[in-house]
Amino acid sequence: MTTLDLSRVHAEASAPHRLAVALREIARRSPGETAIVVAAGGPDRRRIDYASLAAMVDRFEEAVTAARPVGVVVRARKVESLVAIAAACGAAGVPVALLADDARDLAGELRDWTVVDDSLTVPASGLSRPSGYDEGPPHVVVATSGTSGPPKLVQRTWDAVLAAARLAEQWHGLGWLLVYDATRWAGIQVWAQSLLTGGRLVVPALRDPDTVARAIVDEQAAILPATPTLLRRLLASADRSLLSRAKLARITLGGEAADGPLLEQAKAAFPGARISHVYATTELGEVFRVTDGRPGFPAQWLGREMPGGIRLSTRRDGELLVQLSRDSADVATGDLVELRGDRYEFSGRRSDVIVVGGAKVLPRRVEDLLRSVSGIADARVYGQPSAITSELVAAEIVLVDPLPEGQTPESIRAAALVACRGSLEPHGVPRILDIVSRIKTTSAGKTSRRPVATTTP
Amino acid sequence: MTASIPDAIATAIRTVLHDTGRSAREVESSMLLATDLGLDSLDLAQTIVLLERSLGVDPFRAPNGARPAIRTVGDLISVYTEAVASAATKS
Repeated sequence: MTTLDLSRVHAEASAPHRLAVALREIARRSPGETAIVVAAGGPDRRRIDYASLAAMVDRFEEAVTAARPVGVVVRARKVESLVAIAAACGAAGVPVALLADDARDLAGELRDWTVVDDSLTVPASGLSRPSGYDEGPPHVVVATSGTSGPPKLVQRTWDAVLAAARLAEQWHGLGWLLVYDATRWAGIQVWAQSLLTGGRLVVPALRDPDTVARAIVDEQAAILPATPTLLRRLLASADRSLLSRAKLARITLGGEAADGPLLEQAKAAFPGARISHVYATTELGEVFRVTDGRPGFPAQWLGREMPGGIRLSTRRDGELLVQLSRDSADVATGDLVELRGDRYEFSGRRSDVIVVGGAKVLPRRVEDLLRSVSGIADARVYGQPSAITSELVAAEIVLVDPLPEGQTPESIRAAALVACRGSLEPHGVPRILDIVSRIKTTSAGKTSRRPVATTTP
Repeated sequence: MTASIPDAIATAIRTVLHDTGRSAREVESSMLLATDLGLDSLDLAQTIVLLERSLGVDPFRAPNGARPAIRTVGDLISVYTEAVASAATKS
């Protein structure tokens, strides 16, 4: 494969066709090149080369072109099937919906669409498009991550899906780790980026820290896109000797705000990696990228036109507003920012605010404080419903392993409560503080803000 | 095995006092929650969450919105005894 070939594909193929054309071009030039490593870091690891993946695209494009369904809902378990279905649907001009497990209930909104699984066959039962049917360019339907409420379906054009992919030669042929769900906006960005540029998509067998670390080392992954929660867990719990052998060139954080201590720890653990933080939402796509290794973004970005015509501003309560172009309206992001020195730093999501007896508590502030206590590796703060005070601040902490000398789980828990009482208003101090073995995350890899299910004795 | 209701309530109150940096003390059913034990609304809310964990019921989240009045430890014992019995009947 030469750079010229891929550049021509990217320049000439329209966005809906681009993935299928790129896969075929790479398969033609380097058929045996690894496209995807699945179950990486585990005993059932297997690899799929570009020739096999392109053949899957061909097969499904033929089937979907013949059946002409109104749209295709992907219900494949295998990443390679999902990629092949999406690429073939783009090329065949058929809309495609990629739904994560927790968004499957929304498939009812797409009841005329045809469901396709790993068999890559198009069932005859689905409705076909009437001749002359046209609902605009083929598009992709994804579900929002549901960070702050139930997931909802969002329709995006292929241009938008592929807009953030970096196609210059320096991005070709790299190993990309996929720790996100492949059906999520963030996950789609990773596999599309990797496969458009002849890269090696590395899908770990499990998301536990040791398996992820083994996948990074064994498959020589160069790029780790992850949420701060996933990176924090990797740094806190993965085998140190494995981590020290990782050859990461870049870490791209997104989905949540990255705090200063995490960025410092990541720099220390992966001194050769460039660390950037992407601010993006499923609705807006990528808005901006911070590459200076510091939390938040430069204060002077506010109110000034940024590359791409984007303007940032804030509401009086600190909610970040994004204007995508001069003639479009401000979009409220739900993210709260506050000025600290020469930076705006993220203080939490508006919907995460916990209301205790009428007073507001930002969970992130409490989490940052808990994580600063000796012996605590990670923390999650959420609102526990209460009939008396509306909500109570509740927290879960993960302890470092091994514990610092002379400390016990109970002494660390007590120290955490003392630290909170010393720095927070009384209503902000966690009233429920549990020691857990791992922090609950959403399927998008973010720290969950939902209460734990009540256990009945 | 489920703890006895008075024991569960005494344990929950002692946990609240401990977690908020106050000294542990005996809990008796005649004690006034606010005056004798110094429990404020946050303390009471915490006690109720802890009791939901140990006894499996929250009588203050009644579907009809009725909120039982409680002033003493004994009032809490009555409310929880009734709620636990009612939950047992339903199951």
